[in-house]
Amino acid sequence: MSIGGSDLDKAIAQLRACRPIPENQVRELCYKARELLIEEGNVVGVNAPVTICGDIHGQFHDLMELFRVGGDVPDTNYLFMGDFVDRGFYSLESFLLLLCLKVRYPDRLTLIRGNHESRQITTVYGFYDECLRKYGSANVWRYCCDVFDYLALGALVTGASTSLTPTDGPLSDTLNADTLPDPDAELEIETLSSTGEIMYRYARNSSPQASSQPTSNPPSSPNASTTPSRVGAAGTGATSSANGSTHNEGGAVLCVHGGLSPLIDKIDKIRLLDRKQEVPHEGAMCDLLWSDPDEIDGWGLSPRGAGFLFGADIVKHFNHQNDLSLIARAHQLVMEGFKEMFDNTIVTVWSAPNYCYRCGNVAAILELDEDGSNEGYVRRSNGDAGRLKAPLVQKRLEGPGRRYRVFEAAPQDSRGMPAKKPVADYFL
Amino acid sequence: MAAKGIPDLRTLLGSRRGGASRRDARPHRGPPEVRHTGRGSNADDAVRNTDQDAAGSRVSCVDLGYLHDPYAKLFALEPATRRLPLLNRGTYVRTSAIDLLIDRFMMAAPETAKQIISLGAGTDTRYFRLCDKYPSAKLVYHEIDFPTNTAAKLAAIQRHAQLHSKLRTDSPQDPASLGPGATTYHSATYNVHALDLRSLAHTIADATPQTLPNLDPSIPTLILSEMCLVYLQASTVSSIISRFVNDFLPTPTPVSLVLYEPILPNDAFGRVMTSNLSSRNIYLPTLSAYPELGDQRARLKQYGLADGAKAADNEWIWREWIPEEEKERVAGLEFLDEMEELDLLLKHYCVAWGWRDDGQGVFSEAWRDIRDAGG
Ligand SMILES: C[S@@+](CC[C@H](N)C(=O)[O-])C[C@H]1O[C@@H](n2cnc3c(N)ncnc32)[C@H](O)[C@@H]1O
Repeated sequence: MSIGGSDLDKAIAQLRACRPIPENQVRELCYKARELLIEEGNVVGVNAPVTICGDIHGQFHDLMELFRVGGDVPDTNYLFMGDFVDRGFYSLESFLLLLCLKVRYPDRLTLIRGNHESRQITTVYGFYDECLRKYGSANVWRYCCDVFDYLALGALVTGASTSLTPTDGPLSDTLNADTLPDPDAELEIETLSSTGEIMYRYARNSSPQASSQPTSNPPSSPNASTTPSRVGAAGTGATSSANGSTHNEGGAVLCVHGGLSPLIDKIDKIRLLDRKQEVPHEGAMCDLLWSDPDEIDGWGLSPRGAGFLFGADIVKHFNHQNDLSLIARAHQLVMEGFKEMFDNTIVTVWSAPNYCYRCGNVAAILELDEDGSNEGYVRRSNGDAGRLKAPLVQKRLEGPGRRYRVFEAAPQDSRGMPAKKPVADYFL
Repeated sequence: MAAKGIPDLRTLLGSRRGGASRRDARPHRGPPEVRHTGRGSNADDAVRNTDQDAAGSRVSCVDLGYLHDPYAKLFALEPATRRLPLLNRGTYVRTSAIDLLIDRFMMAAPETAKQIISLGAGTDTRYFRLCDKYPSAKLVYHEIDFPTNTAAKLAAIQRHAQLHSKLRTDSPQDPASLGPGATTYHSATYNVHALDLRSLAHTIADATPQTLPNLDPSIPTLILSEMCLVYLQASTVSSIISRFVNDFLPTPTPVSLVLYEPILPNDAFGRVMTSNLSSRNIYLPTLSAYPELGDQRARLKQYGLADGAKAADNEWIWREWIPEEEKERVAGLEFLDEMEELDLLLKHYCVAWGWRDDGQGVFSEAWRDIRDAGG
């Protein structure tokens, strides 16, 4: 049998209903996916508009919620930054659905590798056990792991507009209308609820004091102990170096699962890695998937036992060296769904609401609009083709306009299985 | 792929890979035998069964090298299921924190006779570990739990020579001769009381002062509630503690209370915790009564434990109590890709300890240097 055309659509329909597809179809699908992924560079070039998503972790119903909030494939162009599997109860359905969509709409979906897309990690954190439980053998797990080895390590988004078109929607009750920027101002950040209510807006060049804090995500507040002080792109410092001209060429956005590596100073070095292997325990490839930004100077040891911690100076230097305006990454649970750090030079996007059915967090996705200047750009090439050479200015490149859509866990009854309500572990 | 310092997780997996899922491996519900007052027997069953959950977590930690406890396995009814790294870390912190407080108590005034009362002891192995660690200590140990749980515990003790050989021979009762359904055990050193703690709560009409067999009213006594009193109403807990610290162990007997339980029920994580547990029929009434560390300290004082009333959350305890070297050892046991979640989880559990000893007794001495989280 083959999985093309209508078979593929059938598989998609079945997976959308959260039902696994037969083993032979999985094998076929994984084979097709590998053929496709092998053509992609280590750093995939992606054109705005794009919707950037963080960890999913097998929370299938919440992935459906994500598509509901962010638009369906292929209407929306998606970029998922890895960690599709482990922890949740539906890693298999979540990953296979994404893979089917990738094979069906290769230009509308970009998948990059997370640290959980690994043989070793999936044997501890659930995906292996899940495959065994659902198929009675480890074959499907093996097919999937072979696909993991072909996933790209990063993506480079170009052509994102530096300003957002304001979303036409009702204002959230929690938003103080006085803090809204002037309607003519260039909109840099917008936060929307899952129902499209406007929760926060921030104009480029406006003074940080004038803007409200976008902490209006009701489900996760009050969370004094875990709320970092600068969650959610509080206007602070957003425009520290950009002023004047509003139509600068914005820098590109690098997307990786974890973060930077002391072994990588230029994006080109990522392109040189041999990625088609299990995630190593150390080295550049490992770091890209495991590292975290932190409030330190330079590099630090990671408490995770793999990858590194890196500070603001590292990010700013790397962005400057590579003509980037922003790094988007996932990998760390953020209670508010997203968190910008280091003067908005790096953002964490987290897309698994109520993570592990335990954490009580909300999730977010990041939308970048297109700036309309991308004509002639060759899609899905090696990322650098068609990129303008940024002029040698000391000035920081303007970041893209960023629209965050925040959403909560799918309602329990939409899971259609109240009896098997997932049970999280606690200390009893 | 062999990197130094990072353990190969696959070799750590042991033989259980591919076994039943964690949820399938939950202990089976026991028969609804003895009825108790309160919420009704379903909730009581759920509470009793929490003990095997604790036992399984301990075994997972022992198997992976977090804890050294040769006895943990002997009490677990189900074969161990490997817990996630963050749960292992949490169990490690919980056990180490309580061990530290108890060790300091044992080491202070080593000649003095001492007493420990473990409320809702379940399958706790502390008595056996303390026998090994302090072979010459003059220690009277009491455990209290529902009859189902004490019966299971005594049955395990009878089954394993490693355990019943620890029961000192001055006992009037030979443990090997206990009947199959025995629920209590008494000796000069180790006592197991089958008792619903709620029966100790004062009511105005209740004037008969009950006491526990072999409870010494005058020696320094540490009362331990490791995830036990939290299942009861705050007012009931106050009465139970008052029964101990005022009636059974009247002033000037030095007495202390060590609590391990969750905190912060009102933030996002805490709300989900409360709702997830209630779907398992588990309710934590004192959690809402004492939501923060400050409330825990205040409650200890209210109980009359005014010479010291301290509390720290487990995240703080991990950072501040565990020596660097030991932290490194523990961090090296498993990859832990759940740092933020671990942080959240540990911040939602605390250890609180308070005492009454005139400010110069054994507890003041034992715990003088143990820091609490600010406050
Ligand atoms: C979560 S277990 C903890 C066991 C042990 N302390 C530990 O930490 O490993 C809670 C224990 O408290 C006991 N318990 C709860 N309420 C009780 C009550 N009213 N009377 C006696 N025991 C009780 C339960 O039966 C159970 O064994």
